[in-house]
This record gives sequence, structure tokens and C-alpha cells, in this order.
Amino acid sequence: MNPKTADRLASAVLWMLGGITLAALIFVVAQILIRGLATALNPSFFLGRPRAFQEGGGVLPMLVSSIYLAVWTLVIALPVSLGAAIYLAEFARTGSKAAAAVRFCADSLASLPSIVFGLFGMTFFVIYLRWGTCLLAGACTLALLNLPVLMRSAEESMRAVPATYREASLGLGAGRWRTVRQVVIPSAMPGILAGTVLTVGRILGESASLIFVMMLVTRKTPSFNPLSNAAPLASNIWYTQTEAIIPDYRRVVDGGAALLLLLVLAVNLAARSLGKAYSRRKGVKTANA
Amino acid sequence: MRKRKTKADDPMARAVMLICSSVCVLGIALIFIFIIRESLPAFRELGLANLFGSQWSPNVSEPVAGKYGMLAFINGTVLTTLGGLLLGAPLGICTAIFLDQVAPRWAAKVIHRGIELLAGIPSVVIGWFGLTLLVPFLAKVSGTGGDGILAASIVLGIMTLPTITFLSLEALRSLPREYREASLALGATRWQTIRRVLVPAARRGILVSVILGMGRAIGETMAVQMVIGNARQAAWGPFQRTSTLPSRIITDMGESSGLFRSALFAQGLVLLVLAMLLILAIRLVNREKESAR
Repeated sequence: MNPKTADRLASAVLWMLGGITLAALIFVVAQILIRGLATALNPSFFLGRPRAFQEGGGVLPMLVSSIYLAVWTLVIALPVSLGAAIYLAEFARTGSKAAAAVRFCADSLASLPSIVFGLFGMTFFVIYLRWGTCLLAGACTLALLNLPVLMRSAEESMRAVPATYREASLGLGAGRWRTVRQVVIPSAMPGILAGTVLTVGRILGESASLIFVMMLVTRKTPSFNPLSNAAPLASNIWYTQTEAIIPDYRRVVDGGAALLLLLVLAVNLAARSLGKAYSRRKGVKTANA
Repeated sequence: MRKRKTKADDPMARAVMLICSSVCVLGIALIFIFIIRESLPAFRELGLANLFGSQWSPNVSEPVAGKYGMLAFINGTVLTTLGGLLLGAPLGICTAIFLDQVAPRWAAKVIHRGIELLAGIPSVVIGWFGLTLLVPFLAKVSGTGGDGILAASIVLGIMTLPTITFLSLEALRSLPREYREASLALGATRWQTIRRVLVPAARRGILVSVILGMGRAIGETMAVQMVIGNARQAAWGPFQRTSTLPSRIITDMGESSGLFRSALFAQGLVLLVLAMLLILAIRLVNREKESAR
């Protein structure tokens, strides 16, 4: 074939494949929203109580559990991941064996299937530590699951801070810790925040690792006790469609799926605009300084 | 502000940060220890022949009780993963090439955003989509139940697409501009440049993207469980029902105890080992890349 014809043909095929990819994902998102949006945005659904054997139930307790679970997970995972990131980005010497070991373990942790975290959470937190199935066990499991991602995004944001900032601070007589606290972390904040918000999205959507760690009892009312059982929205969608004991379970799952999708999309959008807004503000600041 | 004397390297802070970093090490060690500990009874009392046999009938009430073979589910995992990659890898790699080389800026932006969106969809939501739309569609087309290996493969194709696209795109973007410019300046067409210069140069990064996509497909639980039919037999045909390792674990764990549960943990251990093998494979590919330079 003539190279020019081949080039045109290849371009056409690549355009087509790009189009297929886009069409497929628009189709998936649109289908989920079309079928569930009306239910999801109905206050009697997202502010309503679940019903067991009758129609018209809502998902308020699950929604609250999801958000509460995200809060606890971050409370546990953020300090640890920040500390680890500070070590890797600021304290570890180049070629440090300890840092290499931490990186390898973080990579391994990041590649494990979430069901493995679920098995671990069940044997360790629920059975071995005798916590029983509870929200806190779920939060600890998810903290471990999300640790590598949080750590990596924080480390990358800190590495992106120009070395001159640190040199100036150290040159003025500040110690390493003070430099980290007052110079590096404030400058790396947008990246750290964006990474954190993205993690919230992952927590809201996570279900496989939670099924055995939190008993999926459908609460009628929200609970704020971390040692009580709870069914977050994502796990509850799976549970509802598996058990199918609610007569209008299709409506509940359709609505729940659309609601979850909207939540995750909103969170991801927030992460993006947060990163952008901060970098814009920082740009102005450095220009004035 | 409180004045305090700071030693230049702050050994205290350093120690605290080191402890934080060791949580990763501790976490992976604990996961290994506890998964192995729980699966030990199955290995000890059932033996490898039973555990890696092809029959799964763990309930006492069944005619042939005490069979804990996971071979059928390993088979299901391999087939659905390959099926998912067969769909996701070519589409993902071509989409990455399209975004990097062919697409005008507006189209690249729209598709990039769209795939980011897809990457964020929770797996239960994809599974529900598969169960209520894909499976009925396949049922109508094939005249079968619609669920099974093909449905799971399509769902996995959708789920591996973002991973493969973004990582391949990164590999292509990290190539020096000169490669492309030199090739075009020598009179090569865009397609010749892509095929003969850019893709070969980025092949290791592309390979890593496919391996990571494979990791995602092997471990995917909820979406697969919802569309694969959860039969206990090994299956080969696209419309036959079977199970994968994760889908079997999630289906049976609730009603398991004793050796039954231990056998499920042994399946988890197999998943754990598979994930570690993939990590090692990626390290190997990356090491070759470094020595090739």
C-alpha cells in the first residue's frame, strides 16, 4: 500500500477508535444517570429511611455511613501518609535502603486486589483484635488500602516544591523539620489536598474490601458510633441487588448507583478545581513577592 | 512565636517520620502473615491435590462433600482477564496514540476528561450497568442467559481501559520530541512515525500499562461477581457461567467456616501471590529499560 494511503487509513481508524472509546463511556454514564437520576435527586430518596419489605425506601443512613467512613479513613490515613511522604521526600538520603524498602512495600500494597484487603481486615481487625464487624474496622482497612496513593501524591507534591525554597529556609537557620512545616508543606498544600479529595472519591466507591469487615445491616437511622455496624452506599448497592428482598429494589439500586456516581464525580471535580484554584493563587502570591 | 533551638537535622522529627513510613512495611507484612495463617489449615489438611483440583463442592450436604478445588476459578480468572485485556488493551493503546499524535486539542481534551470520568465510576455501579443492560442485551443476541465469561470480559475491558490509556499516554508523552521530528523530517508519514518510531520506543511503558491493567482485572470483584453467573464449574465458552477467584470468595465467604473458610483464604493467597508476581514483572521491565539506556 502507498504510505500516504496507509497514513490516511490509519488516521481514520484511530479517529474511529477514539470515537468508540468516547461513545462507550458516554453510553455507560448516560445509561446509569438516565435510569437513576430521577430517583437519586428525589429528597424522599436521599433523605429517606430504608424500608425492608415495602416500597418507597430511601438511603439516608447509607449516605451518612459512606461519608462518616471517609472521614474516619482520612483521620487514620492522612497523618501516617503525610509522615511517610515527608520522610521520603525530605529526610531520606538518596540511595537510602530504608526508603527503597518503603517504596517497594507501598508499590506492593497499591497493587493488591481490594478483596485481599477485605480478607485481611476480617481476620485482623474483626477477629484477631476482637473489634467485631464495625465501621472502625472498615476505616482501618480502607486506610491501609489508600495509604500508598495518599503517600505518593503527597510525596510528589513535596518534590515539586523548588529546592531554592528549602535552601533559603535552611540558610536562614531553620531546622529541617521547621523548614518542612513552614515552607514545604504550605507550598505543597494544593497537591496534597487534591490527592486527599481524590482518595475520598475512591473511598466512597469502595465495596469489595468492606463486605466482610462491616456487617451490612441496613440501619433505619444513621449512627455516629464508629464501633457500630454500618452499610455504606456502595456496599449496600451490591447487597440490595444480591438479596433483592425489597420489592422495589431495582429502583433503590438504580437510584443508589446514580447517586453514588454523582457523588464521586462531584468529588473528583472538586479535587481538580481545588488544585487549579490553589495554583492560581500561589502564582499571584509569588508574582507579588 | 515560640523560639526554640533547632538542630539542623532534627533527629526527633526524622524518627517520627520514619515510623510513619514503616506502616507500609508493617501493613504488607501483616497482610501476608494473616492470609497465610488463615489458609494454613487448608494447605495442611486438604493438601495441594484437593486445593488445586477442579471440583468445588465444600458443603457437607452435597453428594461429594469436601472438595475444595480452585482450578475452575483460576481458569475463570485467567479467561476473563485475557478477555478483558483483549478488549481493553488495543482500544486503550490506540486511544493513547490517538490522544498523543492524531487528535486535535479539543478532541484530546474531551476524551481525556471522559476517560477520567470512567476511571472514577465505582465498580458496583459498572457491575449494575452490566447486570441490567449488558447481560440482557447479550441474552437477546445469543439466546442464552447472557451472563458468563463474555459479559465479565466486556466489563473488565471497560474497567481496564482508563489504566491502560493513561499509562500508555504517559509513556508516549515522555519520549523526546526529537524522535518524532527526526522521523517526520526524513519524510516518513505520521503513521510510519507512529508504527516504526514512537510505539517501539515506548513499548516498555506500554507493556507496564498492560500489566497494571491485568492486575486490575485479576483483582476486580464486585463488577465481575454481578455478571459472571457464579457457577462452580470450569467454563470455556463465552456464554457459559463460571467464577473467578475474587467472585468466588465474595460469594461464599458469608456462609463459610472452618476448612471451607480456610480454602477461601487459600484462594486469597493465590491472588496475593499473583499480584506480587505482577509487581516483580513490572520491576523487571523497568530494570531492562534502565540497562537499555
